Amino acid sequence: MSANKPDLKLIKNDTPGGENEAYTVAMGPQHPATHGVLKLDLELDGETVIKCRPTVGFLHRGVEKLAENMSYAQVLPLTDRLDYIASMANNVAYSIAVETLLGIETPLRAKYIRTMVMEMARLTGHLLWLATHALDIGAMTVFLYCFRERENLLDMFEELCGARLTTTYTCIGGVRQDVTGHFLETLYAFTEEFPSRVKEYETLIDQNRIWLKRTKGIGVITAEQAVSLGLTGPSLRGSGVDYDVRKHMPYDAYPFVEFEVPIGSEGDVYDRYRCRMEEFLQSNSIIRQCIEQLPAGPVRAEDAPDLVMEYNPAKKVAADATFSSGIIKLMEDRDRYMQGDVYVAAEVPKGELGFYFVSDGHGRPYRMHIRSPSYIHIGALPYLCEGYMVADVIANIGSLDVVLGECDR
Amino acid sequence: MKIKYKTKKGLVERILLLEILKGLALTLRRMFSKSVTVQYPKEKKKLFPGFRGRHALIRDPASGTARCVACMRCATVCPSRCISIRYTKDENTGARKVTSYEIEALRCIYCGYCEEVCPVNAIVLTEEYEYSDYVREPFHFDMEGLLHNWDQFLAKNKIDPKTYINPFLRPRGASEGELPAGKRISVPSDWTFEGQVVWRDGRAVPAKEAVRL
Repeated sequence: MSANKPDLKLIKNDTPGGENEAYTVAMGPQHPATHGVLKLDLELDGETVIKCRPTVGFLHRGVEKLAENMSYAQVLPLTDRLDYIASMANNVAYSIAVETLLGIETPLRAKYIRTMVMEMARLTGHLLWLATHALDIGAMTVFLYCFRERENLLDMFEELCGARLTTTYTCIGGVRQDVTGHFLETLYAFTEEFPSRVKEYETLIDQNRIWLKRTKGIGVITAEQAVSLGLTGPSLRGSGVDYDVRKHMPYDAYPFVEFEVPIGSEGDVYDRYRCRMEEFLQSNSIIRQCIEQLPAGPVRAEDAPDLVMEYNPAKKVAADATFSSGIIKLMEDRDRYMQGDVYVAAEVPKGELGFYFVSDGHGRPYRMHIRSPSYIHIGALPYLCEGYMVADVIANIGSLDVVLGECDR
Repeated sequence: MKIKYKTKKGLVERILLLEILKGLALTLRRMFSKSVTVQYPKEKKKLFPGFRGRHALIRDPASGTARCVACMRCATVCPSRCISIRYTKDENTGARKVTSYEIEALRCIYCGYCEEVCPVNAIVLTEEYEYSDYVREPFHFDMEGLLHNWDQFLAKNKIDPKTYINPFLRPRGASEGELPAGKRISVPSDWTFEGQVVWRDGRAVPAKEAVRL
């Protein structure tokens, strides 16, 4: 625990109406610094937070229930609306999960393209995180610089799939569109430029004394605590735990590219910030490697299901090649879909996004559960905020990088 | 990889506010660089083909009406169920004739599944995005409305319907053999399976010409 965290036992609560009565503040759900519609009930003693209770669910749309009445292909556009600032990553995570369930092998070119767009999504996600986190703490300028680069990336998404935010780019068994030469050249030029842009952000805030005062030693979370709270992604790695789904359970083209996982040591807001800043450069390098190694080949698996997935896959009529008399044999296209349950996770900008499916062999999930990192990170907020000042609550929310669309789903 | 950083400051740095001056210098430099803002209503960005905007039914030059054959694939695949089609069936030939084709554009989530599954390239999401309104009625497109959208899109952007290409009408990277006949439109070479690009020696080159080292 950090030295400047006061001992909560020393703060005495008087009876209601007394001089030291705890003061209750409802922060949100319209507060701009809560990154959406998060509500925090804060009990204050002066400016010190004694108790913090998050309330979620204002953006609940019932994605998990909706999925039970939709085919696997139709659920994909819903995943765009989970973490809507890096929807490409959700698309990829969902596709990997369904492919594991249905037993489809993605072609190598599609794997590389997916890895490429997933890292682009990580850049867009982290850029928006840095912009708003710095804005919350009071550094206005970084916001404008970050959105300049984010705009470039969104333009590339638009060229690739026709939409900037709700991409719906992947499909089960590959990607919907191949890349073009113009896209590759724009992206490569961007990766050459980007490290110098990261330097610019660092010039603005990295050593700034106000930034350091607001982030160093604030929201300290030890490695044991972070693991027991279920934190993932940069929020966990800031505390010094080496866990990254891309390294430990590699998917898509991650086994073929070289990258390092940045690990912090202190576990405070500043270390989580440093982790994400290092990830900018690592993602940039992964994108470059993907472009350079991109093989030729199909972008959609041959046995990938059609977009119009039937609830009960019909038997297919096909001529049997072994009989020359033209006897038509009833062949089964696929012995229904796979039955059973599967949990597959991918590393999205926020942390570990997992999809858990229970399948009864039909073209629809019997049950879909989404393990969304934001929901679990919000659960860690009371541990981070209690004992610190009200202003640090904002820094803590920002450093956990929560998106309420994904939390409430 | 443990992150290394140094936040302790020396006496000179603390007194002279060096890090703040560096930040201010960057902002000052940026004042003289080119602006990246696009003044939207006055200037507009060029969109890439395949932008998913307002719906349209492509007017077939031969028949003068929509190509739709009422196969119902778009209405089946639509995740938001915003397409409704009614058709009549010829009792002798079994041919279907569309009597009404309606899209509820306010329900639509613009995923582009409908244009991708259409076997005859009847429906398309055009690159038109400025169609907001104060009332709901204009967003309920019927068949005439959708055909009108197509005419308006062609006239506004001065597009020849014969040369119009869209990556959803023929998915990029799909080989011609696996596409239905209606989707085999001619596209630029790097959109086809044969003309795929890869990266060699610092530039994007067709996969066929790429020399593997």
